[in-house]
Amino acid sequence: MRELLLVLNVKANVVLKSLLDFRLQSIFKNLSSFLIFGGVALGVFFLARASTTYLISHAHIGQFLFHRFLSMLLYVFFVTVNIGNLIVCYATLYKSDEVTFMMGLPISHEKIFLLKFVDNFFYSSSTLVLLGLSWFLGYGSCYDMPWYFYFTAVFLVFLPFMLIAAILAVLLLMGLMKVASRIGIRSLIAGAVVIYLASVFIYFRITNPVKLVQEVMKYYPDVNRYFGYLDAPTSKALPSHWVSEFLYWSVVGDPSRALPWFALLLLVAAGLMVLAALLAKRVYYDSWLAASDAREVQSTRTRKFRIRFMEFGRRRFFPPQVDAFLRRDFWVFFRDAGQWLHLILLLVLLLVFVVSLGSLELRSAQPMLQVTSFVVVFLFNGFLLASVLLRFVFPAVSLESESFWCVRSSPVSLNRLYFYKLGVSSVLVLIVAEGLAIASTTLLRNDPVLVGVSAITMALVGLALTGLNLGAGAYFATFKERNPIRVASSQGASLTFLGSMFYLSFIAVLLLIPLKRLIDYSVIRGQMTVETLYLPLAVIATLSLLVFSVSTGVGLRAIRRDS
Amino acid sequence: MIELRNMTKRFGTFTAVDNVSLKIEKGEFFGFLGPNGAGKTTTIRMMTGLYRPTSGSCVINGFDIQQAPLRAKRSFGYVPDQPYIYEKLTGREFLYFIGGLYNIALDILDEKIDIVTETFDLGKFIDKRADEYSQGMRQRIVLSSALLHDPRVLVIDEPLIGLDPRSARLVKDTLKRMTLDGMTIFMSTHLLEIVEELCDRIAIIKEGRIIHEQTQSAPHSFDGQLEAIFLELTK
Repeated sequence: MRELLLVLNVKANVVLKSLLDFRLQSIFKNLSSFLIFGGVALGVFFLARASTTYLISHAHIGQFLFHRFLSMLLYVFFVTVNIGNLIVCYATLYKSDEVTFMMGLPISHEKIFLLKFVDNFFYSSSTLVLLGLSWFLGYGSCYDMPWYFYFTAVFLVFLPFMLIAAILAVLLLMGLMKVASRIGIRSLIAGAVVIYLASVFIYFRITNPVKLVQEVMKYYPDVNRYFGYLDAPTSKALPSHWVSEFLYWSVVGDPSRALPWFALLLLVAAGLMVLAALLAKRVYYDSWLAASDAREVQSTRTRKFRIRFMEFGRRRFFPPQVDAFLRRDFWVFFRDAGQWLHLILLLVLLLVFVVSLGSLELRSAQPMLQVTSFVVVFLFNGFLLASVLLRFVFPAVSLESESFWCVRSSPVSLNRLYFYKLGVSSVLVLIVAEGLAIASTTLLRNDPVLVGVSAITMALVGLALTGLNLGAGAYFATFKERNPIRVASSQGASLTFLGSMFYLSFIAVLLLIPLKRLIDYSVIRGQMTVETLYLPLAVIATLSLLVFSVSTGVGLRAIRRDS
Repeated sequence: MIELRNMTKRFGTFTAVDNVSLKIEKGEFFGFLGPNGAGKTTTIRMMTGLYRPTSGSCVINGFDIQQAPLRAKRSFGYVPDQPYIYEKLTGREFLYFIGGLYNIALDILDEKIDIVTETFDLGKFIDKRADEYSQGMRQRIVLSSALLHDPRVLVIDEPLIGLDPRSARLVKDTLKRMTLDGMTIFMSTHLLEIVEELCDRIAIIKEGRIIHEQTQSAPHSFDGQLEAIFLELTK
């Protein structure tokens, strides 16, 4: 235990030192983090308050149904935390140099495991805890809940809920690593992705939200049958269901029925933690060795993957320096299984999202609903795009890594390097953004004018967010970090993502009223007239170009800093 | 040739390099010595454009590294103390990449890569990925990459760390031959016997300041006294 406390003490000191760093740049960074995180927390608080009030007091969906929807959202959240931990845990528990260093010290393997797990959990989940806290405050304030509800809900319900997701991820990971030595890391990750997608699919088949609403209408007068239908037996085994049950019984004023769910969450989290510690004692060291061996085998295996025209030494397509960058980035990307597997996973998720839109009937005669569906889909597209950019464009400068010396000491203009990165990213992002915008609005059977609006807006959003992510990535560059996933989950990355969310929300607000007018006119006149959109589109274009150029300026200055 | 004019580098309140001036002539093999943390690597990083000096300037082959960085960089080669190279690329791919950055035509680059492969005996590992390389292999690849564009000046930081005796001999002979062909070499090292064997002139830096300069008329003319001088001056 002494060793654990010693290491935790060192880590706490490092965090404390960075917080108490009174250099101007650090003060600015800490202050901007505080403002942005604070702003987002406030936004989540108001969003939770407004959506709860709307659904309960205006839409009258009832407490029970509301908490069932909540359970589904919590399940998505659970899977997100779970996948996030699965990915980051692999980097921290199996690839980190710190673990290699600690394995050489007289510290037991399970202590190393616990230390890195706690480190990883706080590293990857602190932002989510903040969002959860704000959400519970907003939600609870709608019901005038007493102070101890918030404390219990956040620290004794929500935190164990997240912990369960994280522990399940790490348990799964340890098992998978043992298998990895036999089937190889690539096949293993591909298999895990398929299992995850299948489990999410099965869950939604069981709890099918569309069917849920239909059944409400069908059985509405017969409350018992309606309630009986809602609870699929399998969904009761999920922690998201336990949290929603706790919340439901708390807000309807029956704490004695909330207590078992709260106890269940705590007991399961504690039990899983003990199980993880026991399993770590038996499996962690073996699985760590297996993962190291698997990486060695992977690196010595003869490579069969060849794309001749992209090989070095072949005829150049571009000026020599740009050509060299292109070929380097191509091979460095495709020889890193983590990179291309993530790309495939994100593209599959984009595809699933677009295809699922096709099955929704969101086109309505009511103008407000049409506008809402358009803006919601726009926000979702923007959110997906921002996630892809954060994962692949934000780390682009950091990925120059410690090998950056060879570029910086060669006769290459760093502006040229930056604009090369910006150019390549922009082209790829525009393809994805336009594909998303056109496919989603077409599948929603929107009017061609709305498809055009979506295409123009997404192109501007794509450019602005590319500039923002590359610029911020250069500003927060960490050349010593070799793992792009960790770069994309750093504090700088979180700030950038929150900045992207602010920008997207602002664009959505700008679109809302003019779109409502446009659709109102179309209902009256039978056709759309786009004049009402000129001004908001001009404002969006100006704002996007401003974000793009300011971020590019910051990025260009940052890339020239001493390294 | 290389000229450092009153170069100073401060990091906040800490002065890493303090008003350093040096002049190294064409064809000279210059040894830059100093204890750990004396400012050797910071000086080299300013010379190669990796750090911006707080004041002063560095001129290499007539080009100021801050005023005309691209022309200066085209005229020298640089080997850092830590030979980080892209782990996912093979040694050959890395050489092609560097050749591209120096705008070397493909046919010339093919020839150059063949030459350095033979000179530094890279044949056994050049087509393996760098993540399989030892420190010595990386060092030889980086040294090869620094020579692809026929630089007139070579700036090297600890070039022999991690090399086995055979490779070290190979590198020493190659470097010496290159100075005889007119190349200027600026080498930072801790290995005093290497300095005695190779260098025409030395400077010792301590706490950011040059505290000693000395010329060696012929190899080994320090006669084993360099260690005593170094220890005395840097204590």
